[in-house]
Amino acid sequence: MNLRIFVLPFFLLPGILAFPQAKFTLSGYVKDGKTGEELIGTSIAVKELTATGTYSNQYGFYSLTIPAGNYNITYQYIGYEPKTITVSLQQNMKQEIALNEKVSELKEVIITGEKKNDNVVKNEMGVEKLALREIKNVPVLMGEKDVLKTLQLTPGVKSAGEGNSGFYVRGGAADQNLILLDEATVYNSSHLLGFFSVFNSDAIKDVTLYKGSQPAEYGGRLSSVLDIRMKDGNDKDFGVEGGIGVISSRLKVEGPIVKNKGSFTISGRRTYADLFLLLSRDTTLRKSRLYFYDLNAKGNYEIDKNNRVFISGYFGKDVAGFASRFGIDWGNGTGTIRWNHLFSDRLFSNTSMIFSNYDYRIHLSFGSTKGLIISRIRNWNLKQDYQYFINSKSTLKFGFNSIYHTIIPGVVTIESNSRISELHLTNKHAWENAVYISDEYRPFNSLSLEFGMRFSSFSIVGPGSFYSYDASGNTIDTINYSNGKFVKTYFNPQPRVSVNYIISDRSSVKASYARNAQDLHLLSNSTSGDPTDSWISSSNNVKSEIADQVALGYFRNFKENIYEFSAEVYFKYLQNQIDYKDGAEVTLNENAESQLLFGTGRAYGLELFLKKKYGKLNGWIGYTLARSEKRIEGINNNKYYPAKQDRTHDISIVGIYELSKKWTISATWVYYTGNAVTFPSGKYMINGLVTNYYTERNGYRMPAYHRLDAGVTWLNVKTSKFESSFNFSCYNVYGRENAYSIDFQQDPKDATKTQAVQTTLFRWVPSVTYNIKF
Amino acid sequence: MRKAAANIIMILIIVISFLSCTKVVNFNLNSSSPRLIVESSISDQPSSCYVKLTQSVNYNEPNTFPAVIGATVVLYDETGKYYSLTESSPGVYTLPSFRGVPGKAYSLSISTSGKTYVATSRMPDAVNIDTLYQEKLLYGPYRGGGELKYVVVNYHDPVGRKNYYRFVEKINKVVQSAIYLDDDLLKDGNLISQNIVRADTSLKTRDSVTIFLQTIDKNVFNYFTQLRDVTDSYGGQTATPANPISNFSGGVLGYFSAYAVRSKSIIIR
Repeated sequence: MNLRIFVLPFFLLPGILAFPQAKFTLSGYVKDGKTGEELIGTSIAVKELTATGTYSNQYGFYSLTIPAGNYNITYQYIGYEPKTITVSLQQNMKQEIALNEKVSELKEVIITGEKKNDNVVKNEMGVEKLALREIKNVPVLMGEKDVLKTLQLTPGVKSAGEGNSGFYVRGGAADQNLILLDEATVYNSSHLLGFFSVFNSDAIKDVTLYKGSQPAEYGGRLSSVLDIRMKDGNDKDFGVEGGIGVISSRLKVEGPIVKNKGSFTISGRRTYADLFLLLSRDTTLRKSRLYFYDLNAKGNYEIDKNNRVFISGYFGKDVAGFASRFGIDWGNGTGTIRWNHLFSDRLFSNTSMIFSNYDYRIHLSFGSTKGLIISRIRNWNLKQDYQYFINSKSTLKFGFNSIYHTIIPGVVTIESNSRISELHLTNKHAWENAVYISDEYRPFNSLSLEFGMRFSSFSIVGPGSFYSYDASGNTIDTINYSNGKFVKTYFNPQPRVSVNYIISDRSSVKASYARNAQDLHLLSNSTSGDPTDSWISSSNNVKSEIADQVALGYFRNFKENIYEFSAEVYFKYLQNQIDYKDGAEVTLNENAESQLLFGTGRAYGLELFLKKKYGKLNGWIGYTLARSEKRIEGINNNKYYPAKQDRTHDISIVGIYELSKKWTISATWVYYTGNAVTFPSGKYMINGLVTNYYTERNGYRMPAYHRLDAGVTWLNVKTSKFESSFNFSCYNVYGRENAYSIDFQQDPKDATKTQAVQTTLFRWVPSVTYNIKF
Repeated sequence: MRKAAANIIMILIIVISFLSCTKVVNFNLNSSSPRLIVESSISDQPSSCYVKLTQSVNYNEPNTFPAVIGATVVLYDETGKYYSLTESSPGVYTLPSFRGVPGKAYSLSISTSGKTYVATSRMPDAVNIDTLYQEKLLYGPYRGGGELKYVVVNYHDPVGRKNYYRFVEKINKVVQSAIYLDDDLLKDGNLISQNIVRADTSLKTRDSVTIFLQTIDKNVFNYFTQLRDVTDSYGGQTATPANPISNFSGGVLGYFSAYAVRSKSIIIR
């Protein structure tokens, strides 16, 4: 009896003592041979042990613990020549691996039997990974390649509108995506009202979007996590890369700080749409401003084999102004300091101090009246992650993070006839904490499991005034909390489980369940994302949003892994969802919370994806059939109604064809059902104004959207020292007049009539970009 | 860097055909059953009580809105005294010579087709217009040059209480439908300059302009704010357009406003 109790825990500890044979650890970093950039997600396979292997982590580190012996170990990363090394593992070994980029994609047709089936064997579903080299030939608006726009071409991810970098994932709202740049939250990922994203693709190394079960180390948003990692810089040679486009130019400089020890990279981008304004004959227009810029910088240094530090930052700003009368600028700033430490060959640690900030300012000037509006959201985040590579069957991850949020919803200063008045909405402070643990465990070759738990708390802390409201939104009680007093705390356990059953090396079935909680909510009452949309925290009135998602997927590869196919279904149930009262006013309103209504939501769908990864012709076809609905107390008789982002059908087709080493052509086609919108079902006259009469929220559909884009890339010079290329692209080739908005208004020519007027933004936008690299 | 930065050859090729266009489209909208529409007010001026009852129509129909005739319309004051309005023309109900008193609350009751609707509004004190003068803007963005003439109203906001204002502009005897509103948020007790300006229309020389400064109650202010937001084509499209919230009970569209009013006129030079 006693013995059994003693022995039992050892069976529960996955595999640690299962083998009597001595085991050793092979560990190290996987890097790009030319630049020294760490490669994230390199697969590492042991030829002699079937189904034993691992992947390099987000810092390029891998650790593999296997019995002593002689092995052939193969390292593979998409677009790179695979490398096999022979090791005689008789003790713990460190092995740094350098992989070299393939000279030409054309070669890949010849190499068979080496194509990867990661999508089948990896225990991830609902994950989209983009290698930046994959997106460079996809045609885009105004030639500005953009990771967010390319992600929108994958199933389950939908564009928030024409040319918009905002996106909806599996029926979730745009604010339910956690967007991380080197671990720092990016609150507004749009430039120029969404036509460009804030991510300069020159500065980006790796993009991963989790739309299903998010790993337990992430939390805080319901729908997805978009984890974007910046390039570290070349630690061997200096290099310059740049591009000149129709409306923007980019430049990147990188190089070693100490050769093979540390590197830096700085990249910048600026648009110059306002240069065109100078051509205008209108003096006021000439004095107007409209541009944005981005600056990314990163440096890293390897102190010794076990310690490495990184520092990275992003700063971007949009500036728009109409003479001296009206001006608005907005932008994000982030900063991350990281320390990677190896406690042993098997215990990897990352400590990060992270800062993020988003703010906007509006200046107004009219006669003797001047106004200034400032609003800001900021957080400080301490994050500690551990990764323990127990053995080749099990990897344990655990850690915590602690975030302090400060929201300044708005400070309005008005100066009129030399009197100054100020409106200061109550600042909000919150302290968010989370601990997590997860284990990836492969009990058999054909089965892998990942189970995790994230436990989070969100505390709203004083100082500040907190209000209670009655049903019609009148303040019935105000409580003032002093500095540091806890107003309310929400606790949310968030279990996450996923299972992958590998049927054969070509097919697998995966299932997952995840719960997510969200305590920051974006109030936006405009049809397109707006820089003045305001973030609010959970409070005494607004509860944590909670989503439970189950998903089931079938993954199958064909023709030696040349074709990848997947089918996934998901169902999500959402609690404490937010919508607006009729006529809600949420901008600069101290009582914005009184304008909100709460209820539940549900979203479900089917995603089909067929991808051809290799060969002269590659690309993919994605199709989504989905529904996203809300049931809110006080809207549409408390019945389920379609959410704004509900789209029944969504199709994207992407094709890239390499004609020769110099010429590549590409095309994309998208089709989707129009958004759910509120249109009038009648009209009436009041005070001489013909006014629309609305009968239900989101009862109509915008017309279906479709568009074809095409592009040609001409690599005109390629030597070992210098490379230059031209990219010609055309957005909306067949000039489809897609509806950006439809307004129901008085016919200007006939006072007895009203009419529907459709606005189309872009028809045929050709562009040319010249790119250089040396 | 293997080669000097000077080697960067900057070529800028601009090929842009940037086309944002609008067109009239046919859109199949649902039909809706007619709703009662009420436009009603009383002021501190004689014979100012005015009630207009109409109905909503389907969107694709012409702009003729049927009058609601034969309704029973009664005005109550705070003491419970009541006055029956008479239908002076189809759908228009009036109360000759009656004048409201600032500071008093009034209720309006409308009975039609077996249903009764009631709204209450309190008439605030009047605020005088100090000066009315004209201004001009150099007019750039919309019409390619020229100037835009408009009038400015100066008035003193009474200290220590919340005030809501609505401005009505009459140009050459025609009452304009544009909605101008202000409240004394951040400017309690100040001398306030309100520009009566619309981006698409300029006043012309010799135009006779009268501005009515109405002091209104909070519910009416909210109603007109929402009405302005759903009818104003210059503001951004809201994601949740809705019917302005009426101060009437029983689900009618429209408002009842008890207001005090002062006016001033000017001839545009």
